[in-house]
Amino acid sequence: MSPYVTTILTLSLFIGTCLTIFSEHWFTAWMGLEINTLAIIPTTPKNPRATEAATKYFLTQSTASMVMMFAIIYNAWSTNQWTLMQLSDNWASIAMTLALAIKLGLAPFHFWVPEVTQGIPLLTGMILLTWQKLAPTAILFQIAPHLNMKILIMLAILSTLVGGWGGLNQTHLRKILAYSSIAHMGWMIIIVQINPTLTILSLTIYIMATLTMFLTLNLSNVTKIKSLGGLWNKSATTTIIILLTLLSLGGLPPLTGFMPKWLILQELINNNNIMTATLMALSALLNLFFYMRLIYASSLTMFPSTNNSKMQWYDNPTQITMLIPTTTVISSLLLPLTPLFITLS
Amino acid sequence: MALLHKLQNGIHFPKLCGIQDAAQCFLLGSVFTGYPSRLYSSIKKTEAASGTSSPEGKTHGGLEKQTKGEVGVDLISPKEKIEINFDKAIRAEIKDHFKVLMKELVGRWIGPEGRPLHEILLENTRVMWQFRSNEDLDKWLVTSDRTIGGRSKAFLKMASNNQSALFYGILNTEPPHDGETQRSGYCAMTSRIPRGAFERKKCYDWSNFNTLYLRVRGDGRPWMVNIKTDTNLIHKSHHLYSYFMYTRGGPYWQEVKIPFSKFFFSNKGRIQDDQHPFLTDQISSVGFTLADKVNGPFYLEIDFIGVFHDPTHTEEFAYEDSKKICGNL
Repeated sequence: MSPYVTTILTLSLFIGTCLTIFSEHWFTAWMGLEINTLAIIPTTPKNPRATEAATKYFLTQSTASMVMMFAIIYNAWSTNQWTLMQLSDNWASIAMTLALAIKLGLAPFHFWVPEVTQGIPLLTGMILLTWQKLAPTAILFQIAPHLNMKILIMLAILSTLVGGWGGLNQTHLRKILAYSSIAHMGWMIIIVQINPTLTILSLTIYIMATLTMFLTLNLSNVTKIKSLGGLWNKSATTTIIILLTLLSLGGLPPLTGFMPKWLILQELINNNNIMTATLMALSALLNLFFYMRLIYASSLTMFPSTNNSKMQWYDNPTQITMLIPTTTVISSLLLPLTPLFITLS
Repeated sequence: MALLHKLQNGIHFPKLCGIQDAAQCFLLGSVFTGYPSRLYSSIKKTEAASGTSSPEGKTHGGLEKQTKGEVGVDLISPKEKIEINFDKAIRAEIKDHFKVLMKELVGRWIGPEGRPLHEILLENTRVMWQFRSNEDLDKWLVTSDRTIGGRSKAFLKMASNNQSALFYGILNTEPPHDGETQRSGYCAMTSRIPRGAFERKKCYDWSNFNTLYLRVRGDGRPWMVNIKTDTNLIHKSHHLYSYFMYTRGGPYWQEVKIPFSKFFFSNKGRIQDDQHPFLTDQISSVGFTLADKVNGPFYLEIDFIGVFHDPTHTEEFAYEDSKKICGNL
């Protein structure tokens, strides 16, 4: 793609998200989401799977925008308010919740996430699962007091369960990361009304870990578990990074990923949501199971392969790995900073 | 669908050939064309006026009790009444579909495609179709230009010793005299699209493999191997990925290996400028076509069709798909 086009699209993505985050009026927030949707679509390559993925993404996001606009106008009609934080009408709030659930890929509106993520290249998938979550989460953060807790709990539990079970039978890494995204969105949604700051914390740590995973997989262009099994031959350090990042995503101490899960469970128990907390903790085990499978395939076991070529890691790497060490450290070594995050929240 | 077509409980038909009359009936036609086997399975013969049936048959009324010492269905006297039970047929069909659905759900717990994940990850070869019995032939459809009015004939049967299938016939390139068709002469056999519960279309996932393997014995004619991917979208229903298979003829079996990267894309029979490799995880059917414009008999004997992963084959796609190099795209 021409560098001018890439620049315009990247700028549009950035501006769209910033517009949504910084806006007070519903229309500008909605505009930012639309700019985000339209900016990412031309980044998909021109093969049938990518075209289908882009079409599915556009249709689902447009549907969500349509429902969102309906909620905005209904709220304005009933309360005469256009401000983001004044979503006081009950039905408007429910419609807005559903629209944002579609945008974020929460169950039961999650069906587009694995298909779209599978159809697009690794870097575009990375933007889809990280950057594109910022704007809808910002809106959720601002309208949190007006949301219906029962709907949030239902969306959250369903997402964590679907994200866990759906990822169990996958052999394609992008689909696995898509189901991981669905599950993590569930964790973020459950706490948004009780302690919205934890949602932002959880999103930040999730983005760091997912960035690490995608950048690492992009180094060797690995998209299947089978090719992950041969990664030790090409780059042994990559397998260590994958091990640390996946354990962090699974929420195992002493890695960073344990922090949001721990704080969310603590907050839920403090609010007498013990059953919900138990269900969430149990459903996290499903995710951990397929993360462990990836770890086994990449670093803990010698996967059977037909690779008889020379040890490629002897050669000097030619790709730039600038961000990976930083994001790996952030996604795995920040647990001791938990008191700082508790204070900030 | 069946419920809409159900008119009343226990519809009676005086003759066996009444089924064909009913098939022409506009309300019941689609039911009968789809469910002849079900109807036959739920046929209850009523007692003849002479009252020769056994008391057991009267009390139970099941087909099992009445099959002892009775004539076959196609030899029923026209005077006897045949009772066809739509309810039973529909219930049996729905039960079968639910059984398949349960099997799919249970299979999901085992792993992808109902098999353990380690099996899927470790397998390098898979036999997709092999011909060892008539049931294997039922998985294939045979078509020829007869559908458009041509004169070719094509048949599929088990070959000697039930170890292979024989696709044979006569190719006739004479076009039909309908005033618009100018070319004719093709025969094809295509695998049926795999179906799940409630006739949902499924597809094969060949993403772990990169080559198609065929063990065939032909007559020296050139065949085309066609692969169809997911046909749910109407825009994709005419998409086809093809490659040629040149048979040697003679008594020896031929092992044909066609990498997936060699298949070229065509739409409605026309090869497209904009080429791309097919999606290996959305395969719906494989077929063989003969259209070499030569009148005469043909045969193709197929032992099995499989897929495997060839680690030495590293080509991603054989045809140019870059717009920078080929400006016509």
